[in-house]
Amino acid sequence: MKLLAKENVPEVLRAWSGQYKILCPAKKEQGDCIFDTFDEDTFTLDYRKPPMPPKSAVFPPSSVLFSVQQGNYTRVPSEERSLLFGIRSCDLMGLHQLKSFYLRDKEDIYVQKKMDDIVVVVHACSRPQNETCFCTTMQSGPYAEHGFDLQLFDMENDFLVEVGSDVGRTLTSLDAFTEFTEADAAERISLIKQKAFDSIPLVPDVAKAMDILKETGACDEVWERLGSKCITCGGCVYVCPTCTCFTVTDRVFAHENGERIRSWDTCLYGGFTREASGHNPRPTQGSRLKRRHEHKLLYYNEVDIQGTLSGCVGCGRCSDFCPVHIGTLEVVKAIVDKTA
Amino acid sequence: MGDHQENIYELRPATIMRTLPQIRDHRLFQLKLDDGGSWESFGHQPGQFIEVSIFGKGEAPISISSPPTRCDSLEICVRRAGKLTNALFALGKGSRLHIRGPYGRGFPVETLKGKKLLFVAGGLGLAPLRSLLLYVLDRRHEFDDLILMYGTNNPDNVLFKYELLSFFDREDIKYLYSVDRDEEGIWKQYVGVVTGLFDRTTLSPQDTYAVLCGPPIMYRFVVERLLRLGFPKEHIYMSLERMMKCGLGKCGHCAIGDRYCCTDGPVFNLSEIENIKEAI
Repeated sequence: MKLLAKENVPEVLRAWSGQYKILCPAKKEQGDCIFDTFDEDTFTLDYRKPPMPPKSAVFPPSSVLFSVQQGNYTRVPSEERSLLFGIRSCDLMGLHQLKSFYLRDKEDIYVQKKMDDIVVVVHACSRPQNETCFCTTMQSGPYAEHGFDLQLFDMENDFLVEVGSDVGRTLTSLDAFTEFTEADAAERISLIKQKAFDSIPLVPDVAKAMDILKETGACDEVWERLGSKCITCGGCVYVCPTCTCFTVTDRVFAHENGERIRSWDTCLYGGFTREASGHNPRPTQGSRLKRRHEHKLLYYNEVDIQGTLSGCVGCGRCSDFCPVHIGTLEVVKAIVDKTA
Repeated sequence: MGDHQENIYELRPATIMRTLPQIRDHRLFQLKLDDGGSWESFGHQPGQFIEVSIFGKGEAPISISSPPTRCDSLEICVRRAGKLTNALFALGKGSRLHIRGPYGRGFPVETLKGKKLLFVAGGLGLAPLRSLLLYVLDRRHEFDDLILMYGTNNPDNVLFKYELLSFFDREDIKYLYSVDRDEEGIWKQYVGVVTGLFDRTTLSPQDTYAVLCGPPIMYRFVVERLLRLGFPKEHIYMSLERMMKCGLGKCGHCAIGDRYCCTDGPVFNLSEIENIKEAI
């Protein structure tokens, strides 16, 4: 165990930024907090769950698959090494699910390169970030069990630092990290963990809804009603740490010259499944919402979930941001209420 | 892992050797690889598909119409329907495009060997099925009786017309054909939906395998008829159509329940998808 005084964090980030592009919590003018490139003026440790998960660091909203010149396609490699500072354990699980999805069977070299080059410093939660957090239910938090380089536990003026990898050990070679030699270190950590776990209420409806989907499926009325409310903004997908769907488009600069781009896409859009013939196997918004939620809660892959309960990591962002209240928490409740 | 690692989205340049008009808005394209590769080493199986790419128009999944037993060229039968296919129709002999593939799980050739076969195709469904049809005809001794049922909406929309006509002269394939409508009264065979052809032949469901390829509406009726006739679910295969954007199970567009049409399909056994509501 190491100890890092909170006041020394900016100094540490400055040192690390020589080697990595640091993405860390930053306060914006309106008071929002987002993950942004390290800047001492905006950096903050007083932050809650940022609206966007760190997904963009490995799977950007839009990225170039190929540069096209005279009709020849060349892969554009990514050279950047990012260090994610202060992400939460739910988001770490999101990253691992995303990685597992893109690397299983046939490896996606674009995601793989970014995942290989990324360093993760997790900030364990000592309390819920807000009332929509349900990581304890999904087994993705409030702290990480594995898969991080460093994990920080909050101790008022200091962070207790858990080293999770060799890279992490190297990161702590700076003078700002001191040895934490107290005999009761392990005990203190487990107390912090227990307190944090107890502070985030379990949501029994999630497991109930998952059972219903598995046994009988939710009744069509649930999806139809939610479908009639959905305004198809796709916001829930954009803030979701585990949504991976994309579309491919070409940006043409001149004849046979330009870029082939991959961008986030979502199963909630009507055109997502529409074929050139005009046939659409998912013709209604209800059927599309059904797809999205069944993918998270029913059709996830064992390999992809990385030890969590399902394809949802319980970050609660869809419930935070859906303008018409169709987040996962509302959906599981609707499934359980309607079928009970 | 270094940069030598394979990029699964890598494209291969290809050239259009010939274009053969079929019916209105349908054309057969014969392709050759420009990178020195042969179609033998391409390794496609009947029922698989490729992604065809034209820069500026993106990519589209197109089923392979030619069998691996005929590797002089790779044939794709295309309907002009969307952005990519419209651009493809503007290209002629000698034009260059790019492809990726072959992708997907094709028809279960090994399972079908030695079995009686019933092929049911509707409209452009003949395009993917043709790869299996020609494969069976090229290796005729490896398969038992073969019946082909093919339905189109009217007599003008028969794909691969001359190839099909030649089947009437063959002893080793029974060919039944229907048109939904025949307004000019020129059609000498069955007029009505393709399921009507089932009344014109006798089948032995227990040792026959059915392979279907056509629009979703056809599947509903044909599957119902086959089950009524006593075909076991395990003997019914069908090729599903979805928006298979990447062909590699990554983009998510073609998901059907817990399956991806592009990697787990596009050919599915009925028993695999009967419980997935949105499948057919």
